[in-house]
Amino acid sequence: MKLTVNGEPHDVSVPDDMPLLWVLRDELKITGVKYGCGIAQCGACTVHIDGQAVRSCQVAISDVQGEITTIEGLRTPDSLHVVQEAWIEKQVAQCGYCQSGQIMQAAALLDVNPAPSDAQIDAVMSGNLCRCGTYPRIRDAIKSASAKLEG
Amino acid sequence: MKSPIIAMCLAALLTAPAFAEGEVVEINPPAEGTVTVEEGLQAWARIYEVTSHPRCSNCHVGASNRPMWSGPSYGKTRPHGMNINAGDSRIGAEFVPCATCHALRETGGNDMPHAAPQVAMDWQLAPVEAEWFGKSAAEICAQLSDTERNGGRSFLEIADHLDHDLILHWAWSPGGDREPAPYSLQEHVNDVLSWGVAGMPCPSE
Repeated sequence: MKLTVNGEPHDVSVPDDMPLLWVLRDELKITGVKYGCGIAQCGACTVHIDGQAVRSCQVAISDVQGEITTIEGLRTPDSLHVVQEAWIEKQVAQCGYCQSGQIMQAAALLDVNPAPSDAQIDAVMSGNLCRCGTYPRIRDAIKSASAKLEG
Repeated sequence: MKSPIIAMCLAALLTAPAFAEGEVVEINPPAEGTVTVEEGLQAWARIYEVTSHPRCSNCHVGASNRPMWSGPSYGKTRPHGMNINAGDSRIGAEFVPCATCHALRETGGNDMPHAAPQVAMDWQLAPVEAEWFGKSAAEICAQLSDTERNGGRSFLEIADHLDHDLILHWAWSPGGDREPAPYSLQEHVNDVLSWGVAGMPCPSE
């Protein structure tokens, strides 16, 4: 089965119903994306397919249509995404486990809505759980990234 | 003789819901004049059991654009968790798309309890005009029989819509410990046809 992840083509031999998350982590060893709950309740496994946030634990590999981007491919270490820069600036992460999912969801939000209100941030980010409770810093970082995007 | 395990697997295959193409539904309306108004109202009462059932009404919500979680498998009635708002687009385009979790799945299913149900089409709310959640039988009947608010459909076109929308088919085979909509899809279609031939009568309240 062919798929493109972070601009690189791959060909994997896996069952049709294997979740994309399993393929990314166990087959392709792309481990920035995390397993949290396996049932779309936590958001830790969020990646982009053609720029749209999806929970990779919920997508069967045979149903993937489009190019996949994980946190590794959002930008490069030398040229971070504006959301990643804001995450560092605001020191958002505590344990860090959920953060790649948080960043991918936040990047998808700002792609659609570069200047979200607090209510809009809450509407988009509430599906991404953080057991450390970094929510105030997540919102702060999204505001900071938004301000940079708006110039 | 086949082993019991093979026999069980074959039985499971034969009874598995055909999500990809959807269940085959026959649209055979009764002949004109053969359904009385009283029988039409009885058919409507069964239709209302379906339209007010959580498998249908949870996503037939009004201008709040917020799907609901209600019914035996959800405990307390409340809005969809995760602060979900499907927006005026009714597919979540303004916030989190429904498809972020309810991904398109060609084979349908995703039957784990509490996982996001999936079908071979884009998950979405019903149009805002078709607000059913918490509405009475008279209110839903008035909406369904009003072409201004039912997508311009005759009763035959309503039955045809039931045949072609795979999210509607899902309501009768929802998996994941969810209670299916009452009766069967074919029985529901038959009730819509009987109600239509009877002149789409509505209860007074």
